[in-house]
Amino acid sequence: MSNTPLRYPSAPVISLVSGVWLGSCAVFAAPLDEPLKPLPATPVLDASRVELGRRLFNETRLSINNTLSCASCHHLDKGGADDKPFSLGFDGKPVALNTPTVFNASLNFKQFWSARVDTLEAQIQQVVTSPAEMGNDWKTVVATLAAAPEYQRAFSLAYPDGVTAANVQNALATYERTLITPNSRFDQYLLGNTDVLSYDEKQGYLRFKEYGCIACHQGVNIGGNMYQKFGVIKDYFEARGNPIEADLGRYLVTLDEDDRHVFKVPSLRNVAVTAPYFHDSSAKTLEEAVDVMFEYQLGRTPSADDKTRITLFLKTLTGEWEGKPL
Amino acid sequence: MKLSRRSSLSLLGAITLVLASILVFLYVKSSSEQSTTYTQSRDLIRHIKQLNAQWDSEVLKARIALTHNYDPLVAPLNEMNSLWAELEARESLHQHTDPGNWQAVQNNYREAVQEKARLVDQFKSHNALLRNSLAFLPTAEDDIQAQFGLLDANKRLQLQNIATDTYDLLLSSLEFALVTSDDKAAEILVGLNKLTINKELLPEDFQAPVEILSKHIALILREQPLVNGVLERIAAIPLPEQLDDLTNQLNQDQRVADLSDQKYHRYLLVFSTLLMLVLVYLAIRLLRSFAEINRVNRALQTANEGLEQRVEERTRELRDAQSELLDSARQAGMAEIATNVLHNVGNVLNSVNVSADLVTRKLRASKALGLGKAMQMINEHPHDLGAFLMEDEKGKLLPGYLNQLVDAIAVEQQGMAEELAQLTKSVDHIKDIVSTQQSYAGASKLLEPVHISAMVEDALRMNSGALSRHHVTVVKDYHPVPEVMADKHRLLLILVNLISNAKYAMSNLSDRPRQITLTVRALDDDTLQISVKDEGEGIPAENMTRIFTHGFTTRKEGHGFGLHSCALAAIEMNGRLTAHSDGPGQGALFTLYIPLERAEN
Repeated sequence: MSNTPLRYPSAPVISLVSGVWLGSCAVFAAPLDEPLKPLPATPVLDASRVELGRRLFNETRLSINNTLSCASCHHLDKGGADDKPFSLGFDGKPVALNTPTVFNASLNFKQFWSARVDTLEAQIQQVVTSPAEMGNDWKTVVATLAAAPEYQRAFSLAYPDGVTAANVQNALATYERTLITPNSRFDQYLLGNTDVLSYDEKQGYLRFKEYGCIACHQGVNIGGNMYQKFGVIKDYFEARGNPIEADLGRYLVTLDEDDRHVFKVPSLRNVAVTAPYFHDSSAKTLEEAVDVMFEYQLGRTPSADDKTRITLFLKTLTGEWEGKPL
Repeated sequence: MKLSRRSSLSLLGAITLVLASILVFLYVKSSSEQSTTYTQSRDLIRHIKQLNAQWDSEVLKARIALTHNYDPLVAPLNEMNSLWAELEARESLHQHTDPGNWQAVQNNYREAVQEKARLVDQFKSHNALLRNSLAFLPTAEDDIQAQFGLLDANKRLQLQNIATDTYDLLLSSLEFALVTSDDKAAEILVGLNKLTINKELLPEDFQAPVEILSKHIALILREQPLVNGVLERIAAIPLPEQLDDLTNQLNQDQRVADLSDQKYHRYLLVFSTLLMLVLVYLAIRLLRSFAEINRVNRALQTANEGLEQRVEERTRELRDAQSELLDSARQAGMAEIATNVLHNVGNVLNSVNVSADLVTRKLRASKALGLGKAMQMINEHPHDLGAFLMEDEKGKLLPGYLNQLVDAIAVEQQGMAEELAQLTKSVDHIKDIVSTQQSYAGASKLLEPVHISAMVEDALRMNSGALSRHHVTVVKDYHPVPEVMADKHRLLLILVNLISNAKYAMSNLSDRPRQITLTVRALDDDTLQISVKDEGEGIPAENMTRIFTHGFTTRKEGHGFGLHSCALAAIEMNGRLTAHSDGPGQGALFTLYIPLERAEN
């Protein structure tokens, strides 16, 4: 009874057992119950509005001098964000904050870094009229679009009241609601295909949870559902220096001292393709960003291995757009 | 009458419209839509309340770290907001007894939701940190204890109380998370200070883990009261009460609406009863008028039957009258023919008379009387006749006288013989006329073979006296027609009349020759056409229509019977008689069409 062959199952037995286990897994493919949730299916919305929104998204006439469209800063081929630290406004001057991705933005509980608006429509309304971004006003936008026969036709098809500011915003928001990036490897994993992640990636997810990243980056958008102070454990801004107004975050909205340096927790979906990071674009790489998070938010010192694994895990969050990985 | 009927119709329409609108108005007012509306709104509020409770339970779940997913803390608010928007969209369906209060209650709710959302957002931020640090504490402790474990036994004994202090601090912190009190906070604060002092005594390797632990405990110390405070404030928000207020308000509104509903129901009932009564009244009226209509109908039917009878009677009478008329027409026709015959006979008798007179006069003045005187002289000289003849003056003349007398008597006799021949001829003519007349008399409807041209000649002959007296020229345009079967009598009647009329029509003509044109021809295989055309006074257009009517005439001595009887006769022969004139002074053309029935030979 003490000889080795009897104590351990033979290799064929192991492979058989694991085969059965894998087979049953493939059969059931039960979704995992995790604090992170897979993306919902892309909503099916009014096709004429989506198409109109797509055209408007690429329409430079939305800016006062016909230089900027939404797509000028939200490059759909660059993760829905800008590869520049700060996108340039219509006047060629950089804006104050890093451009967040438009992908999955509809799943954020609020919009902007300061989470100052509740809806995509309101977000659009502010960007178009912002003197640092498109610098336009709605009267001009509506007049410009109404003067273009193709838009007049498309609007009258999609909306009973034709070209109005609200309809422009709604069309754009409708389009943006379809900008969902499903089928990331991690989502496949969440949906039960646990083989899709490597051992290190799974370990990375485990570390992600253990170190407490999960405290803020959770839910369907892996973030984007709460505010958090930047610098929970340590003062980030003192360490960085050069304080600017935008660093104040929600304080600018509420003027509440408790909201100083409080921002919306950004989504980590497609994080690998949306560098640079943070509102101030201070982290050029994912690794840098992870370091900053550990130091100022978690107050923990991870091992180099753990950091690498977490980074590997973060790269599994890149989804697909129009059937192609971002 | 018509106007009043139209106005009464429009009045009826207006009344119907008014009644219908009242009915619709009452129906709409009393419909139970309102209470359904309130029920639906209350359902929305109830749903919001449920979501609110769900929200609270999600908050509590996060509070006890049952879940790390904060999406469920976002979702209820979104749903509540969309339900609220739905409720606000329904606002127009509600009628509020106290709009001010309703507005106030609504505002309270809006403010409360906003406040709660703000607090929940705060809770999320602080709770996330707090739960993270609390979860990390044992690990942090373990990290320190692990460092202790690395020490040799001697050192470990030295630092035993520090290890115990650290462990106590951990326990106090965990305890603090469960029972947050100022005492505990003070205790932790003391512990933290102690740890800071102890840290100096610990080796280098201890610095980082202790630093991390103390930071997290400080965080717990900071965040736990915040989280508790936020939770208390969340709990203090009277959202369910405000939703209850909304429900109560809706209940009250519904009661009022129901009352008004009931009121309108009653109105509707009363109104319906009234309408019902009106309907019943109308039905009775309708039944009555129906009976009246039936009665009138029956009366009408009876009258109709009587009328039909009368019409039949009258028709019979008319038929009788017509046949009488026909008879009299026929008699009149016969009289006409008789008149013509007698007239002609009279004419001939005239010449008979003249001839007889002449013969009588010739006889009276006959030279034969001279023969008697000569014989008397001869008789006076019975003995000396020779001498007398030779010597006597008178006797010598006697033979010459006798010779002359013989010549004269011979002439006389020839003249009388001639006159008698004329007389005989006239008598024959009379016989002829009479026999002609006799051949047509009898008035039978019998069809017999007739030569139309001969027929026309007969008619002319019957009028010949008058025609020659009036110097009328007769133009005969006889086309060859076969012998036909016809009613000779009627045909002759018509022709005599037409010729006679033509003659009369031209009696006042002086500027042009009086001429009658008689045409006989077959119009087609089935119709024979006989026309009489004159150049007389013509027929004015206004007389054209009544020229065939009974009693119409333009002649002083006329009785308006001739053409009428002709037309009738034509119809009896299955033919027709037409008149045509280009107007007064343009002459007239009468045409008789009769069926062409070939006589079978």
